[in-house]
Amino acid sequence: MNPIITVHDLHKNFGDLEVLKGIDCVVEQNEVVCMVGPSGSGKSTFLRCLNLLESITSGSVTINGHELNDPKTNLATVRQDVGMVFQQFNVFPHMNVRDNIMLAPTKVLKLSTEEARERASVLLEKVGLTDKADVYPSKLSGGQNQRVAIARALAMQPQVMLFDEPTSALDPETVGEVLEVMKALAEESMTMVVVTHEMGFAREVADRVIFIDHGVIVEEGTPTEVFDNTQHDRTKAFLSKVL
Amino acid sequence: MFDDFGWENLPPLLDGMLLTAFLVVSSGILGTILGFVLGLTRTGPNRPGRILSAVYIGFIRGQPVLIILFFVYFVLPLMFPAASVSRGVTAIAGLSIYAAAYIAEIVRGSLLAVPVGQSEAAEALGMNYRQKLRYVVLPQALRIAVPPGIGFLVALVKATSLTSVIGYVELTRAARITSNINQEPIATYLIVAALYFVVCFPISLLGRWYERRLA
Repeated sequence: MNPIITVHDLHKNFGDLEVLKGIDCVVEQNEVVCMVGPSGSGKSTFLRCLNLLESITSGSVTINGHELNDPKTNLATVRQDVGMVFQQFNVFPHMNVRDNIMLAPTKVLKLSTEEARERASVLLEKVGLTDKADVYPSKLSGGQNQRVAIARALAMQPQVMLFDEPTSALDPETVGEVLEVMKALAEESMTMVVVTHEMGFAREVADRVIFIDHGVIVEEGTPTEVFDNTQHDRTKAFLSKVL
Repeated sequence: MFDDFGWENLPPLLDGMLLTAFLVVSSGILGTILGFVLGLTRTGPNRPGRILSAVYIGFIRGQPVLIILFFVYFVLPLMFPAASVSRGVTAIAGLSIYAAAYIAEIVRGSLLAVPVGQSEAAEALGMNYRQKLRYVVLPQALRIAVPPGIGFLVALVKATSLTSVIGYVELTRAARITSNINQEPIATYLIVAALYFVVCFPISLLGRWYERRLA
């Protein structure tokens, strides 16, 4: 067992509102974990705590042996190993697709332009956008932009990929192309934590499904355990509405 | 009426116009540099820096330009005799101090107008604050800043007329001198109005060209 992410008793407050109420969670290398749960349950906040886009109120998050709240930890360095894909894509609108992908490898990893370009070509092929390399994001569909965002994150060759509702902002017809790319990643043994409402994807791809509600992990297990052999009433109530 | 204007009076007015343009360019550049630094500090990670620039911006924006000019020209030399400077330096310094506060607010607003997701994406890619600013946030913020920035430059042209009060012979001061000589204020001030327009119009054109290029 080789844990990449270890979360211990994680609490997160926004003012008086306690969003996460003590989460314990370990993500092993090559594992695909899907987090499901109702809106406002804290699953996105949990994901954002994993690379400290949200500060941690108490508890600890350890990535690759680096404790995020430790003042000695260089956050930017740890984040290089953690790819993140956002609901709203957040591609850089002022540069074309290839430059979006090359930016961090050249500026952060200090790769040569040739190396970064080569990396970008490989990734563009992987996400099926080779012909869009010189196009600006405003000319692309949501699904294409999200695939650019995935390629951009992969260009850093992260140890783990975090997906924050990657298909929630997409037109129904482009959801599939993004899920395909994610499925291919999972098959290549990428370690992934996916917050999603796509239960079909969770069932098919996840090694483990975690159901979060009101800031606590209510239930977790294999997709079969959680979806077909549900233990808790809250999970049952949620699944009955979304399945 | 223009017959009595006396066209030998035109060159001093043109000189005044050039000095007005010179004031706009010099205090525009200095004010932009200072305003840029203030705007970045105002939104930056350093708390004392944020407070200092907020105080500067708030205080200067609460002052009439005329008071800033009087302060630099009359008050500072009384407090520190070594700070006695010429009218030209006073005019440039006063207008730069004034411009910096407004440009800082334009820079700040533009930085805040870039969606926070852009910042988060840059951070998630392992960029540090400087890299994030330089490659992701600033290029987008500057596009947003240009139209209001152009608008402010036009306002700065008109603010230069206030330096006539400390005796700097820019266009407004030149106009008063000329109309005292030829006793033809109507013609003189009509010509001066045209000359101000000549200074402002290219700046407006620049702004329009920029906005069309974006669209």
